[in-house]
Amino acid sequence: MEDYANSDEEYYYSDRDSFDGLVNEESDFQWVPPKAPSSRVITKESLLTAQRDDLQRVMDLLSLREHHARTLLIHHRWDVDKLFAVMVEKGKPCLFAEAGVPLMEHQIVSLPLSSSTLMCEICMEAVSSKDSTKMDCGHCFCNNCWTEHFVVKINEGQSRRIRCMAYKCNAICDEAIVRNLVGIRHPDLAEKFDRFLLESYIEDNKMVKWCPSAPHCGNAIRVEDDEFCEVECSCGLQFCFSCLSEAHSPCSCLMWEFWTKKCRDESETVNWITVHTKPCPKCHKPVEKNGGCNLVSCICGQAFCWLCGGATGRDHTWSSISGHSCGRYKEDREKKAERAKRDLYRYMHYHNRYKAHTDSFKLESKLKDIIKEKVSNSEEKESTLRDFSWVTNGLYRLFRSRRVLSYSYPFAFYMFGDDLFNDEMTKDEREIKQHLFEDQQQQLEANVEKLSKFIEEPFDQYEEDKVRDIRMQVINLSVITDTLCKKMYECIENDLLGSLQHGIHNIAPYKSKGIERASELITCQSNKASNADNCPSSENGTNGGTAEFDRPSGSGSSYESGYSSRKRARKEGLGGIDLNLPAEVVDRN
Amino acid sequence: MVDLGRVQKELQECNKNMDVSGINVKPKGDSLTHLIGTIPGPVGTPYEGGIFQIDIVLPDGYPFEPPRMQFATKVWHPNISSQSGAICLDILKDQWSPALTLKTALLSVQALLSAPQPDDPQDAVVAQQYLKDYQTYVGTARHWTENFAMVSSRGHEEKVQKLLEMGFAEASVRSALAAVGGDENLALEKLCSG
Repeated sequence: MEDYANSDEEYYYSDRDSFDGLVNEESDFQWVPPKAPSSRVITKESLLTAQRDDLQRVMDLLSLREHHARTLLIHHRWDVDKLFAVMVEKGKPCLFAEAGVPLMEHQIVSLPLSSSTLMCEICMEAVSSKDSTKMDCGHCFCNNCWTEHFVVKINEGQSRRIRCMAYKCNAICDEAIVRNLVGIRHPDLAEKFDRFLLESYIEDNKMVKWCPSAPHCGNAIRVEDDEFCEVECSCGLQFCFSCLSEAHSPCSCLMWEFWTKKCRDESETVNWITVHTKPCPKCHKPVEKNGGCNLVSCICGQAFCWLCGGATGRDHTWSSISGHSCGRYKEDREKKAERAKRDLYRYMHYHNRYKAHTDSFKLESKLKDIIKEKVSNSEEKESTLRDFSWVTNGLYRLFRSRRVLSYSYPFAFYMFGDDLFNDEMTKDEREIKQHLFEDQQQQLEANVEKLSKFIEEPFDQYEEDKVRDIRMQVINLSVITDTLCKKMYECIENDLLGSLQHGIHNIAPYKSKGIERASELITCQSNKASNADNCPSSENGTNGGTAEFDRPSGSGSSYESGYSSRKRARKEGLGGIDLNLPAEVVDRN
Repeated sequence: MVDLGRVQKELQECNKNMDVSGINVKPKGDSLTHLIGTIPGPVGTPYEGGIFQIDIVLPDGYPFEPPRMQFATKVWHPNISSQSGAICLDILKDQWSPALTLKTALLSVQALLSAPQPDDPQDAVVAQQYLKDYQTYVGTARHWTENFAMVSSRGHEEKVQKLLEMGFAEASVRSALAAVGGDENLALEKLCSG
């Protein structure tokens, strides 16, 4: 115990400059003004509100009606900046034409008198003009034909881009007309159309994605500035926004994809097979040599030479096999087997450590309940120590660091392996980088283990002095592990990936407070009149709007937006207070 | 359901001025949803002189969904499968508009015969040949036209003979047959009425 304390003390004080001590930290936290959260939960109810801002911006700037603004935004995948850039570059007529928004002039043309009849070019019948509809592009057909057309397109899944029926007319049909005409005969389909149209904001938008929870919670998440991040949905699921799999930072999405594939499929089994077996030349089943001489016989009856794999006769002496000679040493084959063996051991090394940490953070999440009990025991005791927030803070820090540690192994596997960066580093460079990283990793690992040990102490049964001692240790170690995590991310960004493959390996930034919980949008009252019936968002939409902030999980959090040049922003956290609990997710796993 | 009223009108319209276009559509059986279209090979192409039959099936959503067309006559063309007769033409797929008709679609198919698009092939073998060895392509296309698309015109002489035996003048027999696209009965009708 004392040993730990001494060494830690040293470490702590020597590094003190970088984190300004604990007392300050807590007061800092209270003074940081809340900033806009970097991610939002979009529910079925708030979907319309979520797109309101973008729509309004486009409507205001181009003085457009809402459905035209939506058409433009759908065409440009809800990227308002890109839309404006196209307008500056190509001009308004081109912007409109490409997206299928008719230019304004046509709109002024009024319908002919209701008494007149016209020939619908689709059904080739004469219809009275009150039974026909003229679209913004100027094309006029009978309502029956329009309705049929809309029904076919909605059923084809084309709701977002229903074009005019005229040949080579690029104009997108007015959504209000579609809604009204379809609604007369097929109200359910009109509803479907509305939903598709609204959901375009999620489906066609790179800053908004469905929460990948299964069964699906019905929510989507919008990130505000950086799409390479990790978020927590209001349903509790934490995930990587970029690839929608579980949160895996500091692994990049590509590394994580490779890693999960490697863990899942039998590629390592395949490796074992290459090392230990040879295929039978007749039935091609892998055959393992279980001793004896180099004449092997397969269960299918075929005999073959273990050295070269060629089919042979069955008679043999100690030195030769009948009808066969293959004395030559095949260096190539030997090398291949050697390499496969090495790769397997290397994978096992990283996988074992990855697994060990994953397993321990699964166990540690059980610790949560035990700790709660210990804290309540302690609080009942007559003692000068009243505040036990250090225990829970320490516990959250432990979860957080474990995660980083656990995912740092697959990162290292690919960072220093042959798969990804072989051409970009010399052998020496790689070795230097590997040492650098492994030093960081080791330090972090040691401190995480210590933290874990202290937190597991039965402090509720100890004397006050001893508890004070543990308190000090836990607080110190919490700060140290947090700092070490930050340092590891810095090392990854600056020293390891800094010079390599720009943009491909984006790593979600480290957040001291853990994965940020997306905050809910507060739905506003404004709503389209035509849409109000179908979309129950406005009046009762505020339900749960602020409920999320009640949770002590750092939801309304306040990180600086990233300063990193390559989107691997590191956001400065505020120390070991108020972390997200990974427990829900862990349990899910 | 298929808009049968429109189909009927289309057929009337199309067959009214068949003399000009040479394009003709008629029902295959009793149903108006399965039709046979006929287009003459465009002049100045290896398809000249051929009469190509196109099998047309109208989907339930017609005219809001495109008609399904494929060549019933074998044809050697980069955008038409030499095996199945499937046609690769945008207006028969995503560029279809309900304002198009069977006749305009067939006209487009005819235009496709005169302007192959080997960069967007349906039949890779033909497209390769078209790009690498144009002369051979022309030869093969011609050969196929003569063998498969002129079968009816080889029978043509028999029809002429038959009608001649009925007592019509050769010149009017030939022009009548040409006008109705080689259909013996229609020609007879025409000869009788005119």
